[in-house]
Amino acid sequence: MAEIRFEKVCKFFDKARIIEDLDLTIQDGKFTVLVGASGCGKTTLLRMIAGIGPATSGHIYMDGKEITDVAPSKRDIAMVFQNYAIYPTMTVRENIEFGLKNKKVPKAEREALIKEYAEIVGLTEYLDRKPGTLSGGQRQRIALARAMVKKPAVFLMDEPLSNLDAKLRVQMRTELIELHNRLKTTFVYVTHDQVEAMSMADVIVLMNKGQIMQEASPEDIYNDPNNVFTAQFIGTPPMNIVDMPDGNKMGFRPEKVKMSDVPVQGCYCHKGEILTREMLGSETLYKIDCGEYTFMVKTDKPDFAMGEKVFIHVANEHLYFFDAEGQRIRKTDGENQYAQLLQNAGGMSNV
Amino acid sequence: MSDLTLQRQAKRKLNGKFIRNQVFSWALVLPAILFLCLFTFYPMGNLVHLSLYRGNITNPYKTFRGIENYLDILVRRPQFMTTLKNTALYVCMYVPICLSLSVIFAVWLQKARKINNFAQTCFFAPHLVATISSAFMWSWIFSPESSGIANGIIKVFGFNTHNWLGSSSTAMVCVMIMNTWASIGHHALIFLSALKSIPGEVYEAAELDSSSAVKTFFKITLPLLSPQIFLMLITMTTNSFKIFESVRQMTGGGPGISTKTVCMFIYDNAFETNNTLGLAGASSIVLTIILMLITLLDFKGLEKKVHYQ
Repeated sequence: MAEIRFEKVCKFFDKARIIEDLDLTIQDGKFTVLVGASGCGKTTLLRMIAGIGPATSGHIYMDGKEITDVAPSKRDIAMVFQNYAIYPTMTVRENIEFGLKNKKVPKAEREALIKEYAEIVGLTEYLDRKPGTLSGGQRQRIALARAMVKKPAVFLMDEPLSNLDAKLRVQMRTELIELHNRLKTTFVYVTHDQVEAMSMADVIVLMNKGQIMQEASPEDIYNDPNNVFTAQFIGTPPMNIVDMPDGNKMGFRPEKVKMSDVPVQGCYCHKGEILTREMLGSETLYKIDCGEYTFMVKTDKPDFAMGEKVFIHVANEHLYFFDAEGQRIRKTDGENQYAQLLQNAGGMSNV
Repeated sequence: MSDLTLQRQAKRKLNGKFIRNQVFSWALVLPAILFLCLFTFYPMGNLVHLSLYRGNITNPYKTFRGIENYLDILVRRPQFMTTLKNTALYVCMYVPICLSLSVIFAVWLQKARKINNFAQTCFFAPHLVATISSAFMWSWIFSPESSGIANGIIKVFGFNTHNWLGSSSTAMVCVMIMNTWASIGHHALIFLSALKSIPGEVYEAAELDSSSAVKTFFKITLPLLSPQIFLMLITMTTNSFKIFESVRQMTGGGPGISTKTVCMFIYDNAFETNNTLGLAGASSIVLTIILMLITLLDFKGLEKKVHYQ
């Protein structure tokens, strides 16, 4: 178990500044997910922890000890790569055993460990097979076993599920959660998939262009976003955002919108026409044309039809406000200002 | 239309398609087959025929000798066996040295450094020079007088000059050095392209697994290069068994016949001495059989160790 702390960390590739002056603490024993779009620096951060992509400047600490210049093999970490990075010429057993052999673990102990972890990942009967003869999911399990067998203080995972099919991905997701519960070590998981992040994380670190946009639990990051970027990145479909006449922005989640045939007073209400309708089973997704904006609405009511004229309305407690720079304006920032924003939102209603 | 007519029509259509497919396929492979027959199988057959006669270029089939030519080269006259031994010695030196140097060189070139592009070009350039020209140049380098670069260098270190190509203990080594110099860039390039296809993540995983550089090389890089190494082993072995012009230029087979190779023996018997064309033919057949056996042994012994993706 270990806590990892970044202090004023920078990473440049030639002239491209990927990460600048980043401070972050990854908590001991937590399942932390670094999430963000491609190129936001999340994998770069993970590679810094592993020591295979050193920081250009700044310091990295593990349990208070500086590891910035420590060799990868001396860091007590294990990593699962996006493309598994298993050794193709070795059997499953040799793959799992390689790190142990290098660390001069006695043979009897090695055998016991291989047996134990092969069983955990369900590869016992494939131990003498070459990875080339196994499926993608099984190869991913080799990578997992190879990482687990080292009993590291920190587990690093770089989009480990992105090459698996949808069904297997969901299955592996729950297996990883179980694994974390069992091992209770620090997990750092990189993904671009916010659903993956929401479903597995204790803590989500949302990144954009090398900066941390928000660091919070899945509940907080969904219910209480710090900025427009977070509000739109987390949640499917993303939050609807409207520019207000006073230069601020207003947002509301598609799943908080109500639809009706008649206008509703005392909240933000707008008339519109249904452009598309996607029936997803338990809920239905509507794209609604409201003149200047098109809004996404997610509701459990499937009985509206395409082309139908409807009214959408959002209760005041489900409205979010952001300033012109996209930073959140909360009620706690000033009651009067907030009341004014609510009033302005009501004024934007068009029935 | 009745069902029967429809069936007939369908069958005719299918037949037409089958014939068209056949004609097209044969048209595609025919040129290759033709060339193979004309330039490989016919000469091979002819060679076997030739090896059973006594004759020369103008009259190859003077008198029938049966297997006498074979008995001559394999039993009665020791020269063929000596040249075979010389050639085998050369192959045993050249193949492992050139192969391992090529791999090491490729590993060194793998890292993206500015000097590497330059080095790659430098090492590849000799491959573009005609073997005979390279051999000429290296004859000067190994010249027995002190004007030779090799002698010049050892003189700097206080050693006596040496007759490199005139001494039976060093002549073959000099030929090997020249041929290694000429081909290392080409071989390294093949290994380099294979090395570049190995994903970097595998090496990073090895680094995280506390693997030392040497261990990573032997346990990961080398096994992943095995298909290329296997291919190069076979082509280098067969090609170096056929070594001819570099030896002919640098040593002329001397001193004595200490560097004379099988191909030189064949050439001499075919074109230099009278009425020994059949001996040359028999020697060629024996060489072909030896090469086939070596290739077969390589496949039997090593193919299981080769890792194909």
